[in-house]
Amino acid sequence: MDIVIAGDGKVGFTLAEHLSQEDHNVTIIDTNDEALKRASDMLDVMCVKGNGATLSALQEAGAGKADVVIAATSMDEVNMICCLAAKRLGAKYAIARVRNVEYAKELSQLKKDLDIDLIINPENATAVEIARLLRFPTAANIDTFCRGRVELVGLRLQEGDFLCGQPLAGLDHRVRALPMLFCAAERGESAIIPNGAFVPQPGDKLYLIGQPFGINQFFKLLGRYTPKIKDVFIVGGGRIAHYLTAALEHLGMHVKLVERSMERCRQLSDMLPHTLVICGDGTDQELLESENVGACDAFIALTDRDEDNLIISLYALQQKIAKVIAKSNRQNYAGIARSVGLDSVISPKLITASQILQVVRGMQNSKGSVMNALYKIAGGQAEAMEFVVSEKTRGLGVPLKDLKLKKGILLAVIIHQNQVVIPEGSSVIRAGDTVIIVSRDKVILDVNDIYEDRPADAVEGAE
Amino acid sequence: MNFKLVFRLAGRVLLVEAAAMLLPLAVTLLYRENPLPFLIPIPILLAVGLALSALKGKDSFFPREGFFAVGLIWLLIGFFGALPFFCWSRLNPGSGLFPHFIDCFFESVSGFTTTGSSILTAVEPLPKGILFWRSFTHWLGGMGVLVLALALLPSMGSRSLNLMKAESPGPVVSKLVPKTSQSSKILYGIYCVLTGAQVIALRLAGMPWYDSVVHAFATAGTGGFSTRNLSVAAYQSPAVEIIITVFMLLFSINFALFFLVLCGKVKQALQSDELRFFLLVVAASTLLIAFNIAGYYPEGGALRHAAFQVATIISTTGFASADFNLWPEFSRCLLVILMFIGACAGSTGGGLKCSRVLLILRCIKREIRRVIHPRSVNVVKLDGRVVEEDVLCSVLIFFAAYLFIILGASLLVALDNFTFGTTFTAVVACISNIGPGLEMVGPMGNFSAFSGLSKLILSLCMIVGRLEVLPILVLLSGTAWKRS
Repeated sequence: MDIVIAGDGKVGFTLAEHLSQEDHNVTIIDTNDEALKRASDMLDVMCVKGNGATLSALQEAGAGKADVVIAATSMDEVNMICCLAAKRLGAKYAIARVRNVEYAKELSQLKKDLDIDLIINPENATAVEIARLLRFPTAANIDTFCRGRVELVGLRLQEGDFLCGQPLAGLDHRVRALPMLFCAAERGESAIIPNGAFVPQPGDKLYLIGQPFGINQFFKLLGRYTPKIKDVFIVGGGRIAHYLTAALEHLGMHVKLVERSMERCRQLSDMLPHTLVICGDGTDQELLESENVGACDAFIALTDRDEDNLIISLYALQQKIAKVIAKSNRQNYAGIARSVGLDSVISPKLITASQILQVVRGMQNSKGSVMNALYKIAGGQAEAMEFVVSEKTRGLGVPLKDLKLKKGILLAVIIHQNQVVIPEGSSVIRAGDTVIIVSRDKVILDVNDIYEDRPADAVEGAE
Repeated sequence: MNFKLVFRLAGRVLLVEAAAMLLPLAVTLLYRENPLPFLIPIPILLAVGLALSALKGKDSFFPREGFFAVGLIWLLIGFFGALPFFCWSRLNPGSGLFPHFIDCFFESVSGFTTTGSSILTAVEPLPKGILFWRSFTHWLGGMGVLVLALALLPSMGSRSLNLMKAESPGPVVSKLVPKTSQSSKILYGIYCVLTGAQVIALRLAGMPWYDSVVHAFATAGTGGFSTRNLSVAAYQSPAVEIIITVFMLLFSINFALFFLVLCGKVKQALQSDELRFFLLVVAASTLLIAFNIAGYYPEGGALRHAAFQVATIISTTGFASADFNLWPEFSRCLLVILMFIGACAGSTGGGLKCSRVLLILRCIKREIRRVIHPRSVNVVKLDGRVVEEDVLCSVLIFFAAYLFIILGASLLVALDNFTFGTTFTAVVACISNIGPGLEMVGPMGNFSAFSGLSKLILSLCMIVGRLEVLPILVLLSGTAWKRS
């Protein structure tokens, strides 16, 4: 597909990187030469210098014939005008990043009036993600499929967990009977799709997929079940904090919010009446101690400096707070943070990018099987995707043990007529089912992509 | 330096070269000639290519790997491209052509770099297959062997622009469409269509099929190898000369402009500063030379000869329809100046490139303004766009490096003790990928009298000129050879 991205910032670059690797024709518009040079040096994309909201730049980038135009510049207004102009030129689908809280309230009207097909609000998306983590505090991260019927949960193994040191095939029946599956593991820097012979070790991060009930049971067996979170401590009063606090208030949690600027504190306390807003430096230990950080259930670092977030999160971990979440836009910091035990590192950039990727891939697939959801797991090295199986999918009705899947791909869940099935050798896929696939470093755009390319006779046999 | 990756890339390009030799092989079979000059090199290329492309290693690819690979690959294809000549000369020891391997290397590099300088005292005794290969190397080298490899082979990943950048001529390389491999396919598409058009035009003008194809290849690559000793003059046909003049000029225009025309943006293409400058230079020098040589051609044809010679020099092709070595000094001098200017960026021609010359002139103008108004802030523009300062800087550095290399190479070639005119124009003709110079290396002369060392220096000059200096300098820099 032809995709035009206006704005070569963090999100724009990440999007261009993924989309160009998936063989789309990507054109980037930006005013900054250095950013463009970096993109054209590192990615197989075309770069156009100019203001993404001007017709001339959009025309030069070929927005009129583009399938998707994504406006991800730093300014909401530019993004909106960019989408408006691109649609007038003939672009088929326009996505705008709009982050201003005031616009956020009028999104539906804006979408209609400006003819924008999708509005992405990174801060809001991040807040939703964090809120979901807080609802299920045991997991390092959690993604949902099929409207919440299936959950994908990441969990860091610790010394002494009964899973450690024995192959998965040797687990006792209490675990094996649960409606869940170990679908991926992250060891050090690499991702592994585990089989029965995989031996978990302390320090590995395991990803479980299955019904929420099964996963809860598993955490109880593991002795890691954390009670519900009631008190939340947030450092940094930016937009994410605003959205998050509003969401948490709604869930009935008590929030303490530390923000440095007095003016912003006033605004926040006006908008969030049930929250205790504290004006002060959130990176100051004395302040944190005097506000009794140790007593809260969750600690969230949302300042605009990645380094500060990671350091104060480490302090919070030291205070034995049950759930610590840090925001970091830099992927390499997340790796370092994981190695010292800070598991929940949230990157607004990645969240935004994967939301948009999901939409783009979904559009591309409208011919074949439809992708409903996509999540990047194991530090971005593996992907979990939800597809609806169409008539055109190969291998329908064939038991899984007779199908040859590509290496590094796992068919994790089949949802057949609203029944969640953890597949076995005898399970079959039928048209209309929803399947969840976990793939390591391979781009899967269609269910058919998971099969090893085989001679024609085998395919005929399958049909 | 990621050597495994560089060698793997080189292996793939050698496989492409092996495939390219199938075409002259077919020609030898068609004309019932001895196919051994191609049957021997093809297995060698296949073996080396397969061995190198089987190397496994990391795919980390940075600009330095791109430049390094391009420099190395051009040396390798020049070397392996010489094998057919070498095999032929060993099979026909009595011919006296290609006496040493360095002569074969010179001829092959001259072909791939689209120079068209020859060490052959006569080309007519050579079989059709060999002459076809000679011109076909022009065609391959014109658009770039790596660009061809990028178009044909599976994607090299997102960093492949680094290769295209290193191989394509011009100060700024931009893609036509977002994907590098698609861009190279479009470029080769335009290239093939134009070449085909020229073959048909030449055939209609009365040239035999074989000669039309060979001359079209030599024109397309702006190379200049002919099948006749007298080059195009041998045909004594004004029609052929005019067709070749037009196509030489077409092939020295930036191919991106053809793409714009294809997209229906004719107006934008015509507004290109570089194109206007190029056409202005061509028109002005044609008129000046025609006026200057009018007395030499009392029966008419001065304008036609002037246009052909200007086109052949500025497009860096190097055909000849008249012996301009015998022309008055003003015309000869003007032609040498045109040798420096060269074709447009993004074409198959060589030289400094019109856009660089234009930028240098505008820099000079700006500098004068700065002296007069010391606090004035001026930007240099091309096609209505501001040119970045680092691009300007690289253009000026390129110019300086080009001059220094010409001076250094001239000094070494001067060891052969030929006249200044011969020595200097030989180096300029090689580094600008033109072919003929003046005096001994004039259009009716050749490079056979130079010593082995000079031939090696001139071969390197050709590659330096074709790859626009930097890839070869990277290859020569010690730090590039450090393992990563």
